[in-house]
Amino acid sequence: MSKPLLHKLALHLGLIALGIIVLIPFAWLIIASLKPSEAFFSALFLPPGDGLFGVDWGALTLDNYTNLFGLGFGRALLNSIFYSSAAAIFATLFCASTGYALAKFRFRGNGLLTLLILGALIVPPSLLIAPGYELLYDLGLLDTAWGLLLPAFAPAFGVFLFRQAVLQSVPDQLLEAARIDGCSELSIFFVIVLPLIRPMIGAFMLITFLAMWNNFISPQIVIQSADKQPLSVAIAQLRGVYRTDYGLLMAATVVSVAPVALLFLILQKQFISGLTSGAVKG
Amino acid sequence: MTPPRIERVTLLVLAIRHLSVGVWVILALLILSAAALVLTDRSDSRDDRALSMWVFSPEHKLMYDPIAARTSDTDAPLDISIMSIAAIQSRMMSGFFGGLPTADLIEVERATIGQVFMGPTEAIGFTDLTPLLESEGLLDQINPPSLSPWSTDGRVFGLPHDVHPVMLAYRADITESAGIDLTQAQTWDEYFAMLRPLMRDNDNDGRIDHYPLAAWYTQPDTVELLMLQGDGALFDEHGVPAIDSDRNAQLLARIVSWCLPDGRVAVDIEEFSAAGHQARVDGVSIGNLCPDWMCSIWRMHVPGLDGKLKLMPLPAFEPGGRRTSVRGGTMLGIPTTTEHPDEAWTYAKTLYTSPDVARELYTLVDIITPVRSLWDDPVYDQPDPYFMGQPKGRMFIELAPMIPIRTSSPYNRAAVLEVRDAAIALVDWAQSRGYGFNDVESIEPRAKQLLERAQTNVVRMMSRNAFAALPEQEDREQ
Amino acid sequence: MSSPRTSRALFLTILLAPFVLIFSVFMLYPLAQSAVLAAHQTYGPGTREYVGAHNLSLLINDPLFWKALKNTLVYTLGSLLIQLPIAFALALALNSPKLRGRSIYRLVFFSPQLMGLVFVSILGVLAFEKRMGLVNRSLAWVTGNSELLELDWLQEHVMATLVLLSLWLYAGFNMIYFLAALQNVDRSLIEASEIDGAGPIARLRHVILPSIKPVATFVVLLSMIGSLQLFELPYILLDSSGGPSNSGLTVVMYLYQNGFELGDLGYASAIGWALAIMLIVLALIQMNMIRRQERLG
Repeated sequence: MSKPLLHKLALHLGLIALGIIVLIPFAWLIIASLKPSEAFFSALFLPPGDGLFGVDWGALTLDNYTNLFGLGFGRALLNSIFYSSAAAIFATLFCASTGYALAKFRFRGNGLLTLLILGALIVPPSLLIAPGYELLYDLGLLDTAWGLLLPAFAPAFGVFLFRQAVLQSVPDQLLEAARIDGCSELSIFFVIVLPLIRPMIGAFMLITFLAMWNNFISPQIVIQSADKQPLSVAIAQLRGVYRTDYGLLMAATVVSVAPVALLFLILQKQFISGLTSGAVKG
Repeated sequence: MTPPRIERVTLLVLAIRHLSVGVWVILALLILSAAALVLTDRSDSRDDRALSMWVFSPEHKLMYDPIAARTSDTDAPLDISIMSIAAIQSRMMSGFFGGLPTADLIEVERATIGQVFMGPTEAIGFTDLTPLLESEGLLDQINPPSLSPWSTDGRVFGLPHDVHPVMLAYRADITESAGIDLTQAQTWDEYFAMLRPLMRDNDNDGRIDHYPLAAWYTQPDTVELLMLQGDGALFDEHGVPAIDSDRNAQLLARIVSWCLPDGRVAVDIEEFSAAGHQARVDGVSIGNLCPDWMCSIWRMHVPGLDGKLKLMPLPAFEPGGRRTSVRGGTMLGIPTTTEHPDEAWTYAKTLYTSPDVARELYTLVDIITPVRSLWDDPVYDQPDPYFMGQPKGRMFIELAPMIPIRTSSPYNRAAVLEVRDAAIALVDWAQSRGYGFNDVESIEPRAKQLLERAQTNVVRMMSRNAFAALPEQEDREQ
Repeated sequence: MSSPRTSRALFLTILLAPFVLIFSVFMLYPLAQSAVLAAHQTYGPGTREYVGAHNLSLLINDPLFWKALKNTLVYTLGSLLIQLPIAFALALALNSPKLRGRSIYRLVFFSPQLMGLVFVSILGVLAFEKRMGLVNRSLAWVTGNSELLELDWLQEHVMATLVLLSLWLYAGFNMIYFLAALQNVDRSLIEASEIDGAGPIARLRHVILPSIKPVATFVVLLSMIGSLQLFELPYILLDSSGGPSNSGLTVVMYLYQNGFELGDLGYASAIGWALAIMLIVLALIQMNMIRRQERLG
């Protein structure tokens, strides 16, 4: 065998080994969520038996999932989907429109607003936890969906990203030409601007969706009622009581992770390009 | 290329055609989930009369459910949900802080209650039960010391669930075959003296086979339990720290002297691990400090001790001193935000003073009720084979009125940990000077110094709290 | 028909109003309030008491705060020193344009990032469980040493558990940044160095590393900013406590405990400011760097 080929083989072997290590927890998680608790102790992965490949396929069960939804976990799943999609849609809409206004219009206060947004970029979220909570209390928004969603509708970095995107990919001449043709400002925004920044819209929406889905500290603080909790809080509270019920916790984790994983798999290209767009040019 | 003039309606359609798949998917998710949430909203159909109750123990739900079901025909139904202590803590406190409704009834563990009392009295999230307890004569029926952890400024904010008196569970199989009658031991000194002869290495493994007592200065709960027994109080009745009192220094020196290598009588045994259980079965410790709830834990996890233990009152620190102590506890409180205060109170009374629940509490988890009028139930006189047929319940009940008063200071846990740290420092110091079991008097001054340091730390911690009634604090504000 | 001037103003208002309104109420106002709050002690938002600079002097003398800060820094250093070299090595391995299945590898290494921190924490609780967990059982199986089953990660090796979990979670994520940077390295430079007869290590040192330096600095700063705000992982792994003798207490966890368990939003704000000052310094370095990078690029 030639030397480059040998190199290549070694590289692939190494990468495959690492890949397996990375993926094993997922496999363990999914298999364990299908095992009844007795089988959990007998085997690390699939329970051994007389079936195909020496596995006792009959021992696998969906009981953990039925139990989980019996505990009201379906409600938390629904809440998570609602909070995440609402945050994604409205944050994108508000940030894109503001980013466009800041990039392409001259008006009094433009400079100040841009400065404030740039300044807000460096404020760590943990600084706002306590005063934000106090504000929601004063507004009577604690334990409401609004209390969780409104602060998520206006992320400064969204405006920053869209402002950059508009500056980069929307030429002034195009807007001028459209205005001369008599296009209304609204149609220019929807028909010309939005399509031109389409990649950023897709990426930002996914990022916002994921951020809300995985958000723990805000709902933990804001949401108090069990029937308004998203998955992140519901699963953490499941842990204390049912710590010994491994299968149940495994199933809860699968239910919490599978929807976003699916969404990502459909849209992975946009997502990865969106993640790196802030950092890497080109 | 520029688009032609477009009607407003077609404008959106065009814009939407340019959107990517991701936007479509998320938009669809939003609409579907919003619709599903609206459709499944059961807040209208929910029974307005229903009361909710949060408990952290599955056994409690098991005991309460039948009683709740019995009363639900006439009164409002009761929904009992089991939550982890952490979940109760986080949801209860966020409800109290935010002035939000929580549950109508909440069971709170002693370790969690401090936060409730951290602020000013008027901001306490639980209803002051004192007037109700007084008007119903319950104040006299309940074992008085059992109210102390749940009271502040003379007001009671929770119904006590338990007494949790402590006895000494000793290896009667070993002592009786050696001809030692431990029940004759009135004080710790007599107790240790009686067991000294057993402190030998008969199996030649290089280690002493039997130590008189399982207790160690690094276990905060054990140190607190023993100090409480000896009337050591870390806070006075106004919640002012009194950690560096002479009595506390004396007690700490005594407890530490038991653990010093020269003449050591205590042994370090893990409380809730398999290794610790095995050491108890092996008889490494003759005596074990045993609150009533510990009986059910051993029964479940240490079957090897079945029929080998006997209970006796704790030996006292001085002749005529207290023969018991206290450890742990739970209360039932009614949040001030409840919309059903009367029904909640009715349920609270039923669940916590009902003879049936009290009986089950004892048979299920060996815990005796704090309601004195229920103490003549014959269930407490039944011989318990695990403890060589002793009428365990009766023995605990006899000690129940004598358990020490406990503080409800939110800083108690911090103070206990400081005392534990002082004990660790004291052991190091005493060891380096070669002091042992008989040098309590030489250790005491140093114990006092270390407790003064602990006092300073706790006072500093409390001075942070503008709501805590510290004397210095009031001076500063004037 | 309104004049074009008013219609433009109306349009601008529509564009800006929602964001500006929400941004002012939920960002600018609380930001200003956090300074006010830091001079108070509260018991929940309903009860407050002015304490002036008291919180600040408490913070400086608070051993728990320093412990939390030390833990956080240990975690940050530990995770960066292990994670970033691995992420870079992975990116180098995947960078060859002739490598088959590159996009699959990329997806596989990135996949843990799909799990949110909370869910990774729950997985961590289960995987690092003493006797039944995936980690100890795998270790015992690979080494044949059943004593490894008793390894008590969550009690005795809290920091190691956190670093390992974050390695699994973030290595692939950072790899994506390095990969994107590597693909922007000028091919002609690499070819030139090949013609010069430079070996792979010399090429790495003299060509590749200098050209990805801006991105590398960015990734380091980004990871630091993220690591310093560590909360969910230890909070859930340690069952909402600081762990045995607070060995897993982090700064944000301490902020949370003070603000939402003890109800002192004032002291929580003071902790928030202490952390914010550290993070703002880091963020300013980062922005400065991006600006310089833009000027160069």
